[in-house]
Amino acid sequence: MKIEDVVCSFCGCLCDDLVVEVDGTRVVSVENGCTLANEKFLGDHRLKTPIRRSGNSWTKISYEEAIAETAAILLDADRPLLYGWSGTFGEAQSIGVHLAEILGAVIDNTSTVCHGPSILAIQEVGHPGCTLGQVKNRADVVVYWGANPVDAHPRHMSRYTTYCDGFFRKDAFKERKVIVVDVRETESSNIADEFMKVNPGGDYAVLSALRAIVRGKGDIIPARVEGVSREQLFRVADICKSAKFGAFFFGVGLTMAPGKNKNIRNAIELTEELSRHTKFTISPMRGHWNVYGSNEVFTWISGYPYAVDFARGIAFYNPGETTSVDILKREECDACLVVASDPGAHFPKACAEHLARIPTIQIDPHVNVTTHLAHIQIPVAVAGIDAEGTAYRMDGVPIRTRKLFQGSYPDDLVVLEKLYAIVKEAKG
Amino acid sequence: MRVILKTRPRAKPKIPIEAEEIIPQNFLRRNDIRVFEGNKERALDDLFFITTEGPAVSPDQVEVILTGDTGVIKRVGEYMNAGRIIVEGDIGMHCGNFMSAGEILIRGNADAWLGREMRGGRILCEGNAGHYCAAGYRGEKRGMRGGTVEVKGNAGDFTAEYLSGGEVTIHGNCGDLPGVEMRGGTLVIGGDCSRPCGNMTGGTCMVFGQAHQFLPTFRKNGIEDTVYAGKHCRMNAFRGDVANRGKGTLLVRM
Repeated sequence: MKIEDVVCSFCGCLCDDLVVEVDGTRVVSVENGCTLANEKFLGDHRLKTPIRRSGNSWTKISYEEAIAETAAILLDADRPLLYGWSGTFGEAQSIGVHLAEILGAVIDNTSTVCHGPSILAIQEVGHPGCTLGQVKNRADVVVYWGANPVDAHPRHMSRYTTYCDGFFRKDAFKERKVIVVDVRETESSNIADEFMKVNPGGDYAVLSALRAIVRGKGDIIPARVEGVSREQLFRVADICKSAKFGAFFFGVGLTMAPGKNKNIRNAIELTEELSRHTKFTISPMRGHWNVYGSNEVFTWISGYPYAVDFARGIAFYNPGETTSVDILKREECDACLVVASDPGAHFPKACAEHLARIPTIQIDPHVNVTTHLAHIQIPVAVAGIDAEGTAYRMDGVPIRTRKLFQGSYPDDLVVLEKLYAIVKEAKG
Repeated sequence: MRVILKTRPRAKPKIPIEAEEIIPQNFLRRNDIRVFEGNKERALDDLFFITTEGPAVSPDQVEVILTGDTGVIKRVGEYMNAGRIIVEGDIGMHCGNFMSAGEILIRGNADAWLGREMRGGRILCEGNAGHYCAAGYRGEKRGMRGGTVEVKGNAGDFTAEYLSGGEVTIHGNCGDLPGVEMRGGTLVIGGDCSRPCGNMTGGTCMVFGQAHQFLPTFRKNGIEDTVYAGKHCRMNAFRGDVANRGKGTLLVRM
């Protein structure tokens, strides 16, 4: 059976034009998907049943047993951490926040290792953003800064920018100018009209220089700024100022470079400065599928988008203090629940070591690096394949994902609701 | 009155303690001081051996001494408005948050957000300070507004972020972006730092060591003379940050 208009559940683009062929409970083929989407839909490394670590081996256990033991571990903890959430849908994320509140836990999502600094900057100076539809139909200048969409968001350029004709851009490939800024040449820089190569860690200075030039204070700019010539800085500023509609996209190459949130703040303030001359917008290239949704859901319930500490019964937020990497590095937490993420693969070594020392429970469909650190793993249905729910695209547009077939696994929501019920009963 | 708080051994010593109630005025009459250990609320004497010596009739006469494993205790001295706190070792995050008067002496190192948004009083750290020393909270437009913070060792990144008033002196090196978004007050850096005063709009920053990765958006504004640690110093003066219409003063030793 072929199913049309399927939403991809890999990256933040949430491409909604996939055609997926299903045979029973197996995906047979994927049309329109990128390489990453194909791997996601056709991959088959799913854990069959819940497992518990017994010495150097694993024991199969029932879902009820696994959930009950998870509840007991979390209830016993003095500083539990609930991490992940970006690979699941909003309804499950919502239960996660309520679970954190009732446990007095810290709940954090993968923003902590990607666009958390972007959120901090937005909280300081706001977000002059727009939807990807606006970019597709209007933008004639597109800037990718610290992002490599050809590899990380393979269809971003073909659906929204370089290769995609829009309502006001009938011949996009010729009409749109693409500027790529990065510390090295990439597949994306190879197709750019202008590639600005910045010294590693030099983004902040280059952004400041561009702001000064756009403000008409370019006379103080020296011959070179962090590897970029004065002439190129002026040329890039001119391209941006003469745009009819400019779109600035930035990736973790900017958020995680030295200066972090201050880089993003500088980029936002450059966007504001450019908007005195023309229309310019700025948007983060969100990587994890529904990470934007986790920020939304956390904010509806707690007021904060990530790194929310409920230890004292009220929500407290302070990235750098209540973020997962910091908590694990300081060895604060004494139990961890990982949902729809793989911190073992992405966190620093010291954090992974602490995860291995404490009781770590993972709710995830697949065997991954975190499996090897975990005490218990509970397999669930894959959001967007055999589980349905709401996810947010990188520009904040909510999109409903569908269940492609009825599988045998419970979804995240079912498991978390059972866990929440046990914890609530114990807490009274 | 002198109150000595010595930490008791704990089963999980890495779990942070939040103790904003440890301020001198609370020891004058109260005996129900509560602190948090992770997500559990505890009485003060569950976590500390408490010894009290001598009388006091006002908070000014109260001196609190913290000893033992104090490096994970957060928010000590928050909203402090009188008296003295002496920390014999290290202290956790947010020491001296919003304090308006009194004195905190830290003989060891201080973790991040030392003197966050303080209004007055004095903090002296004899060791090193972490990131965001004398800075503001997330999204806050103003950091430290008054008082003095002195660190004899080094400080981390984003020192004196959003500094709006008062004086911050770091005798050692600072990390990245000290004085970022600074809008008032004085920041003195005895050692080296990188990218000082990005996006500053006001105030004065003096760097007596090397300023690495100096930002291109500061305009040269002559030469000034000043004195640091009893020595006469000739400084390059800059105005900026031009990217932000800034009118701050940045002095860097020649």
